[in-house]
Amino acid sequence: MVGLSLGEKNFIKGGIAQDIRTDGRKRLTYRPIFVETGVIPQASGSARVKMGATDVIASVKAELGKPNASHPDKGKVSIYVDCSPTAEPTFEGRGGEELSMELSTALQRCLLGGKSGAGAGINLSSLSIVEGKVCWDIYIDGLVVSSDGNLLDALGAAIKAALSNTAVPKVQVAANASLDEQPEVDVSDEEFLQFDTTGVPVIITLTKVGKHYIVDATAEEESQMSSAVSISVNRQGRICGLTKRGGAGLDPSIILDMISVAKHVSEQLINKLDSEIAAAEACEEE
Amino acid sequence: MAGKISNTPATYTPSPTSQDKKRSSIFTGSDWVRPDGRGLHQCRPAFLRTGAVNSASGSAYAEFGNAKVIVSVFGPRESKKAMMYSDIGRLNCNVSYTSFATPIRGQASDSKDLSSMLHKALEGAIILESFPKTTVDVFALVLESGGSDLPVVISCASLALADAGIMLYDMVASVSMSCLGKNLVIDPVSEEESYQDGGLMITCMPSRNEVTQMTVTGEWSTPKIHEAMQLCLDACSKLGKIMRSCLKEAVSATQE
Repeated sequence: MVGLSLGEKNFIKGGIAQDIRTDGRKRLTYRPIFVETGVIPQASGSARVKMGATDVIASVKAELGKPNASHPDKGKVSIYVDCSPTAEPTFEGRGGEELSMELSTALQRCLLGGKSGAGAGINLSSLSIVEGKVCWDIYIDGLVVSSDGNLLDALGAAIKAALSNTAVPKVQVAANASLDEQPEVDVSDEEFLQFDTTGVPVIITLTKVGKHYIVDATAEEESQMSSAVSISVNRQGRICGLTKRGGAGLDPSIILDMISVAKHVSEQLINKLDSEIAAAEACEEE
Repeated sequence: MAGKISNTPATYTPSPTSQDKKRSSIFTGSDWVRPDGRGLHQCRPAFLRTGAVNSASGSAYAEFGNAKVIVSVFGPRESKKAMMYSDIGRLNCNVSYTSFATPIRGQASDSKDLSSMLHKALEGAIILESFPKTTVDVFALVLESGGSDLPVVISCASLALADAGIMLYDMVASVSMSCLGKNLVIDPVSEEESYQDGGLMITCMPSRNEVTQMTVTGEWSTPKIHEAMQLCLDACSKLGKIMRSCLKEAVSATQE
């Protein structure tokens, strides 16, 4: 991204203060969202989401594995984001690692809930096949292809779309397995189970520029931010995760205000995303 | 080490909220009984000492219950030649676990993630303009992981920065809270953290009443977040006072 001149910076800040951003949007309006599902045939599920110039791909792969000793009746989900150098030349090699870690941790926090598994977007108990021995390991990989701000929201939306596109194969467990042997598991090629994504939350990032918050900031607007709060809200309006990013301090009352704004915006976003995902799935079937 | 101090360690238990939340937890059918016998809204006694490492510019040792952390600060030092010129200072944070910190050897939990969280928590409090072209290194070592590790590391790091003489806008205090069923439990231990339904961690600058970092995990309703934030901010301001008194003691001890 080219550096911004003082005049451009003032233009961005002044516009936000008057509720007209550089591309004509209002403060709480998202860019048009395009969703495409099934983009990676080798994965169990995948999706590509474009929000303006931000382009991300999420893929979900389900593999058989052994559950954790501390939670034998739950499957495992691991989320990893890779920032490709095609997005920014600085992401080459180790450069994008810090941003990848930050995005991965934020997504894990939002989608996986507390350590006991409560409040998770994905129901881990549904991934268990044989308690204590065999379970599904879900690997969710995100790839940032093009970055123009608001990566976290786009990745959250892509993961939601990829999960609704995911088909986990049905599994037959051999009935005569003894207690200490590894049971034989037959993975079916024909029958599939769809993932239930009604509980998966969306992530809304509110960026504070001056005294106002904007939703879906572009890279230019993000460079002018003082701080940003990413809030994950589910369909029932409960907060599933919150991360504050950016260095400047925020008054606690502002954080609470941001939470209520995020809840308000999330209703529209969830509806928009659901209709886009449904349209994409219908498109794919044709 | 805690036995050598002459006075009892100070505690930063927040003032109780007006409502008494006594509803059954999912485990025993009654209130969650804490393993160390504390009340639900009672924090662990905090033991803080500066000057733990002689060779560092500044250092601090913190013991909160079983969580033991030592932080040393080096700098401001010359930045590596490979780095670009910058007219504000740089902060470099690193958090690592000793191999004997956790009950199972070598089970360090996300130390890379903790380093970047420590960086974000501290960068809002340091006056970076006061040391241009140079770098301040903050190295944290968790000697024993006793639950609520990151808040302890952050508070100890801010004490070490003050001990090193780095200019700060304010002390940084950090407290975390766990949600176990219907109970809100402050300053959780490792056992409580492993069962938690949700967690909330706040890092704030008490005198400026500014939150520099906040992370929420798990499902929360808005009133619960309100309550948890209130309790944590109250505990943070009390912890801030304890940190200041620790710094004053260190100075008055050297003057004697």
